[in-house]
Amino acid sequence: MLLTEKEVRTLTEKILSMVNADDATAGVGSNKQSHLRFAANNVLTSGSREGRSANVTVWIGGKRGSASTNDLDDASLKAMVEQAETIARNAPPDREYVPTLSKQTYKPVTSYVEATANLSLTDRAKQIGAILSELEKNNVIGAGFHSASSQAGGSATKNGNFEFERSTGVGLSVTSRTPDGTSSGYFLRSHHDIGKLDTMRIARESIRKALEGRNARAIEPGIYTVILEPQAVADLIGNFGFGFNARTAEEGRSVFSAPGGKTKLGEKVFDEKVTIYSDPWHTELPGSQSAQGGIPAQRIVMVDKGVLKNLNYNRFWAKQKNTDPTPGPVNTILETSGPTSTLEEMIKSTERGILVSRFWYIRSTDARTASSTGLTRDGVWWVENGKIAYPLKNFRFNQSTVKMLGPGNVLMVGKPERVGSSEGGGGSLLPALKLKEFNFTSQSEAV
Amino acid sequence: MTFSRRDFIKTAGIALGAASLPSWVYYAEAADAVYAEVNKDALADAAISTAKRLGASYADIRINRYRLEAVSTRERQVQNLSSGQNFGFGVRVLINGTWGFAASPIVTVDEVRRITTEAAAIAKANSAITRRKIELVPTPKAAANWKSSFERDPFDVPAEEKVAILLKINEAALGVKGINFVNSSIASVNEQKYLANSDGSRIEQYIIRTSPSFSATATDRSTGDFQAVNSLREAQQIGFEYMTKHDWAAEARTAAEHAVMKLKAPSVTPGKYDLVLHPSHLFLTIHESVGHPTELDRALLWEANYAGTSFLTPDKTGKLQYGSKMVNFVADRTQSGGLATVAYDDEGVPGQSWHLVKDGLFVDWQTTRDTAKLIGKNKSYGCLHADSWSSVPFPRMPNVSLQPAQENVSQDDLIAGVDKGILIYGRGSYSIDQQRYNFQFGGQTFWEIKGGKVTGMLRDVAYQSRTTDFWGSLDGLGGQATYELPGSPNDGKGEPGQSNAVSHGCPPARFRNINVLNTASGSTAGRMEDHD
Repeated sequence: MLLTEKEVRTLTEKILSMVNADDATAGVGSNKQSHLRFAANNVLTSGSREGRSANVTVWIGGKRGSASTNDLDDASLKAMVEQAETIARNAPPDREYVPTLSKQTYKPVTSYVEATANLSLTDRAKQIGAILSELEKNNVIGAGFHSASSQAGGSATKNGNFEFERSTGVGLSVTSRTPDGTSSGYFLRSHHDIGKLDTMRIARESIRKALEGRNARAIEPGIYTVILEPQAVADLIGNFGFGFNARTAEEGRSVFSAPGGKTKLGEKVFDEKVTIYSDPWHTELPGSQSAQGGIPAQRIVMVDKGVLKNLNYNRFWAKQKNTDPTPGPVNTILETSGPTSTLEEMIKSTERGILVSRFWYIRSTDARTASSTGLTRDGVWWVENGKIAYPLKNFRFNQSTVKMLGPGNVLMVGKPERVGSSEGGGGSLLPALKLKEFNFTSQSEAV
Repeated sequence: MTFSRRDFIKTAGIALGAASLPSWVYYAEAADAVYAEVNKDALADAAISTAKRLGASYADIRINRYRLEAVSTRERQVQNLSSGQNFGFGVRVLINGTWGFAASPIVTVDEVRRITTEAAAIAKANSAITRRKIELVPTPKAAANWKSSFERDPFDVPAEEKVAILLKINEAALGVKGINFVNSSIASVNEQKYLANSDGSRIEQYIIRTSPSFSATATDRSTGDFQAVNSLREAQQIGFEYMTKHDWAAEARTAAEHAVMKLKAPSVTPGKYDLVLHPSHLFLTIHESVGHPTELDRALLWEANYAGTSFLTPDKTGKLQYGSKMVNFVADRTQSGGLATVAYDDEGVPGQSWHLVKDGLFVDWQTTRDTAKLIGKNKSYGCLHADSWSSVPFPRMPNVSLQPAQENVSQDDLIAGVDKGILIYGRGSYSIDQQRYNFQFGGQTFWEIKGGKVTGMLRDVAYQSRTTDFWGSLDGLGGQATYELPGSPNDGKGEPGQSNAVSHGCPPARFRNINVLNTASGSTAGRMEDHD
């Protein structure tokens, strides 16, 4: 069972009452997860789990110690506090210590939906059964993952702050492969409200991509104009909003560092069609009421019409730099202040280009330029004279994310959709993008 | 509320601890007592009898406790010192050929019965849509109590000793002119695992892992350039002796010097080069291009939705030439120090050692009891693993190691045979496609080889190749004296995602005529060259 606000308050107060240290923060969490995984058109594994946790961080004379446990009875909590205090007494001074927050006021975020938390096993089996039938009917081999979770927890400080939040999430991804193994399609969507998850649409999109991707041709790698579906954008920059770190930029080790120990704040680093922000209360993508360090979250713009507007200051670094800590980000939203285009309009306006469904295995190659490598996967098409001409085999790319969104390279921007990164990570609101240049560096025969 | 024996032991342990010894010792002992005091066999009987009553043809219960201690520092300060423990159980049932699983942190007989009933309900709900029933190959009933090899339990080491080692590492790096930043950490992990299954097996295992790391960064504020070099040593299944047997401070000083050198090193010219890959780098190439493709679940399309499938298929067993005749890969769950070494896997199959690639030929798979059945085998190689009591166990990689040459070949001998090449140390950026054909790997430090000798440092190097072409180009291996056993403590796979710790022993090896690209050329021209 998830903990209630009253239980979280009681437990965190209890932990703090056991603390002898000068300052402390205590956290308590609980979660429930349930999943069904299928592959080769058959049920694979399915399970549920419940979890809970407590943690405490204490400071004694400016020295810090932390401990955690998943046993919430009094004796375990007391042992946990003693452990943290013992660590603190034996630790060197914590030079980054900032007193814990006093009472804060949070504006609640609505991201908990009862129907998601109370997922019915029978309903889920029926939905996945219908998907298996659809896969069989279309003569493709399917695999997928349905997962639902709910969590509730909060934290309290010795200086009088308390916060509690709960949320739910549900997601489904489906991969369809043709029996000869020459084509594969994928589709993923997630939401906090199970009623908004259209499971059959996810299956059908995956099947469509697999069927339309047959007889793919190989073309030479190189620099091409690309149209990236929202999934491909999410795979590349799904967590981009969290990367605007002030400290690394000011320390001279980030793509946002400038020569002479400066940063690129205020510079037009991105195309003017690009605005990136975080909004805790966005109805389609609720974030969290609490940003880093427990500060009440706010809507915060990182990039405004291409200009780098904000870098993320944590409480310690803000104090060092005599500025305010940043109340976010808690999610990533990319949109344009100009007109949006549909995927069809992007295709129609393209003389020669490549349409990408998804990227995979993206790894950083150069932090100085925010460059990474990775591969296309599950659907690539050649676009010619305003139409999809034929499917392509996969590519490896090497590309700077910042240059990809850089001035002059963003040609068209779609309407943001709620998407999740296919390599994990939370949801984000991202549009399809048409980009002037994207660097494919080798062919990949993988399907 | 009744006062249970478990409460009594915990409270007594804490009280005694406060009186005599540092309390963390008694914190650990109190929690140890909880784990030891739980009557695991009685819980197991409750799970398995309940599962059988509900129609399970197979059932298992894992009652596990995990301890983690983490110390992390930067420059001359400690950033985090934390300690955690996590205890609970998970029950897996096979009903009508369909798996069901449920898990809980409340370790009581009543909860075991409730959770087993939930696992059975999940299996039954899903069996209505099951197309083909899961079947298991048999394995003998086992009773065992096993501890991994270690000399000093890291959980008995005072925090200040760990901090002192890390700050010494940092100081060594900061002593090098041009180094501005250094991070270091030690993570210690203890898994205490109990497995009981409906075959009658009862197995307890106690595993210790130590994962140290550091990174030294040099910055040039005038140009905005920066370069980092990380530790070349990797996690092992070993105790705290790892931190004192190796001279970490000396390695940090060298890494710092290399980070400063990297700022001024020439950027590589893309093209074809021979490569000599040190074990600190090669192990991850093995992991990605050999470890994952030989996982049978991938070939059976079980990972198609996430990690991907494999270019290998069952019909290629014994037929596909994976590499040159010098290439031998052995999967091994018995290798001392290997992160994936166990006495038994998570469904009661003993740890084993077997060839995946023999004399260059692909000969066998990594299997579990359900996957082995699907390729007509009558036994499993014991590759089932879960990263928590709350995770569903599924096929995970054993240690997969490249066998050294029989002859006494040194790394310098390999370099001597290279006219134009690059020597690579350390793990850098790794990316490989979902069927494990096309990969691109970077490293930590890169050294130009000309005329059989290392002539200087290079930077911005990555190589890109195709798995079988790459291993086919291997023409030199170091001997036993050059063999090392690096590993990765966090290999991700599966849905929900799970982590696995795995090692890949290897000597240095030489590869001919490999495609090298420059990872920095995109930073100025907006494009990256990749010659093929």
